[in-house]
Amino acid sequence: MTTEAIVLEGVTKTFGPKVAVDELDLAVPRGGLYGFIGPNGAGKTTTIRLIMSILFPDRGRISVLGQRSALEAKDRIGYLPEERGLYKKMKVAAFLTYVARLKGADRADLRRRVPEWLERVGLAEVAGKRCEELSKGMQQKIQFLSTVIHEPELLILDEPFSGLDPVNMRLLRDLVLDQHRRGATIIFSTHVMIQAEQICDHVVMIHHGAKVLDDTVTGIRAKYDPRTILFEPRDPGADLAPLGALARVRDVRAANGAFEISLEEGTDPSAVMAQIVAAVPAARVELNRPTLEDIFVHIVTGDADVGAEDVAKLRADLRNGGSPDGGTKEVEA
Amino acid sequence: MNKILQIAIREFVATVATKAFLIGLVIIPVVLLIAIVGMRTLFDETAPRIEGEVAMIDPTGEVFAGLYEYLQPEAMAERRDDFKEKMEEQLPEGLELVAGTPMAEEARRQALEVLLGEVPRLDVVELDPGGDLERAKDPLRRGNATQGGRLALVVVHDDAVVQAEGRETYGKYDLFVRSKLDDRIEREIRGGMVDSIVDVRVRRAGLDRETIESLTRVGRVRSTTVTEEGEKQTNEVLNMLLPLAFIVLLFVSVLSGGQGLMTSTIEEKSSRVVELMLSAVSPMQLMAGKILGQMCVGFVFLGVYGGMSIAALMSFALLGMVDVSLLFYLVIFYFIAYFVIASLMGSVGAAVNEPREAQGLMAPIMMTLMIPWLLWMPISRDPDSMFAVVTSFLPPINPFVMLIRMSSTSPPPLWQVWVSIAIGVAAAYGALWFAGKVFRIGLLMYGKPPNFRTLIRWVRMA
Repeated sequence: MTTEAIVLEGVTKTFGPKVAVDELDLAVPRGGLYGFIGPNGAGKTTTIRLIMSILFPDRGRISVLGQRSALEAKDRIGYLPEERGLYKKMKVAAFLTYVARLKGADRADLRRRVPEWLERVGLAEVAGKRCEELSKGMQQKIQFLSTVIHEPELLILDEPFSGLDPVNMRLLRDLVLDQHRRGATIIFSTHVMIQAEQICDHVVMIHHGAKVLDDTVTGIRAKYDPRTILFEPRDPGADLAPLGALARVRDVRAANGAFEISLEEGTDPSAVMAQIVAAVPAARVELNRPTLEDIFVHIVTGDADVGAEDVAKLRADLRNGGSPDGGTKEVEA
Repeated sequence: MNKILQIAIREFVATVATKAFLIGLVIIPVVLLIAIVGMRTLFDETAPRIEGEVAMIDPTGEVFAGLYEYLQPEAMAERRDDFKEKMEEQLPEGLELVAGTPMAEEARRQALEVLLGEVPRLDVVELDPGGDLERAKDPLRRGNATQGGRLALVVVHDDAVVQAEGRETYGKYDLFVRSKLDDRIEREIRGGMVDSIVDVRVRRAGLDRETIESLTRVGRVRSTTVTEEGEKQTNEVLNMLLPLAFIVLLFVSVLSGGQGLMTSTIEEKSSRVVELMLSAVSPMQLMAGKILGQMCVGFVFLGVYGGMSIAALMSFALLGMVDVSLLFYLVIFYFIAYFVIASLMGSVGAAVNEPREAQGLMAPIMMTLMIPWLLWMPISRDPDSMFAVVTSFLPPINPFVMLIRMSSTSPPPLWQVWVSIAIGVAAAYGALWFAGKVFRIGLLMYGKPPNFRTLIRWVRMA
């Protein structure tokens, strides 16, 4: 058994003139919890469809669960597509059973497992209802169940949280983490960075079809540590001169009603924080941790001359789905 | 294979276990029944029950009596009964058997009584030949045809029964009727006038009408078909209808299967369940399962309607009319026609986003399917013509045309049947290949619905 659940080597996919995925290399170890992040249209869904062998790459090699293609391992994969639906006229339990049977699950086993799972997501009473009678939130839960009910080794979730209310989002997040604890390898894509931050232990950032970052969440934070401390004095009129005089402090700048204290390279921030508190009475002192969003914006904009407007638009995209025209949801022939 | 079977079973159950399917299954027999019963009522040739007066100005003084007799209710009822008997003579053997039972006799007697109650009550009166014609027409100008009163005025020409001096031909009569007089009443009057005038002319010529009639009548002859198995009466109606019945059966079952495949594919696409399916099965497996499931749906139609037709033929002891091997070929040609048509319709389903968009792509398919209907008459009349032979090898209509030829009066040689089957199988293979390509690309394609050119580009791409 290979240690990698998924390996992509130099995978490229174009639709006409548009390069959706560009020379992508990726290795997801078994048991990993990977987040694919990037704005709409970055190539996440196409990458996932390539992994699933729903689309085929123009170039490059893909291996899934040790097989040359997902087609040979379909029964061991659970896939929640971004564009997902149900058979409207089918009854909920029948639908789940049908999907799981197609994935090779045992019928007798399913008779027990289907009610159990429905119970678990609080939908035990809808087993006999037609899928079209369910609310949108309920349908999303059923769709998720159809992905995990055959207990796959590999879970691929494309934007699993989109359109969910906070309560259901938390429920789904717990279910995903349960699957991770069970030992399943999980990849999920999202354009909402904060979700990735909360769940993943490893993040792959994709932009314009190319991988721009591939690291653990802690690794990314360490690497993109801005080495600043956020400080808010208890007395807004306090004299901050002593702070600038502290050893290893580079400068102090006002920022959004507080102050950003930049440190010299290699400084232990906790030692400086103690000194700051001792020097000026504080209402708030905290390490300025970069968000994935900040890092993404930093990477994407880089040294290029990008206007503030473009940055604001990019951030908006990353927070709430952003531009409606950004998606490569359709395969363009 | 197991997955294909599961998809097929779901597809079949999801289609068959709906009210719409059951309604669809019974609607065609019901419509046919209504059509048969309704046609008879619609094309009722007998005059309605109307009361009124038929006046005649008869300068010859000889024609009136004949018309008077002819339009008596009893005489009319008797003619209708004769007509019915003649109709029954035309019925096929099996039906005659049914008609000859005591029960049928009783029913006929009762029917006659009913008939008597339904014939028009016409008062036939003679007007003074010297009277004013315009005044005689006056009652026609008033009132309408349903309220009684004068319905018609017949004016017999002077030379209607005796040739005028120096002329070879006889005169005739004028018929004046009120507005909106039922044409069947008018027909009765015309019939009575012809009958009466001929009667007088024959008598005046010193001849006997019955003799003339028996001299000029030759009974209608029905041909006897002579075969190796024996001789039987030729049944022209059935000979004509049998090919039609076969293409109706084939058409209905192929179309219901194909239509089901198209709608269920569109539904899967529009409800976005299709990508979920594609994570479990390949597009080819999905398509194969769906085609197989809908093939069974079409087969249900074929079985039910075919079974009903056979039961009907058996009950009239007419099963001998149908060559049993034809049923075998019907099934074979069903498979071929289904795979070709359903593959194309399934491709349409996979290519579009909603049923409305399918119309444009469906039009050429439906038009192709209409061709056998246009060809039914010429081909069943002349099943060995060059045209018939060529079209029976031409996919996708070859199953239809070949069945018309096989059930016609002059079946084609067996080698032609099998060549047509071979061509059909090749066409079915090609259509499935085409559909497979379109499925692979089309299922995940949303947005602008494609045209046929785009479909062909997809096929090249996939």
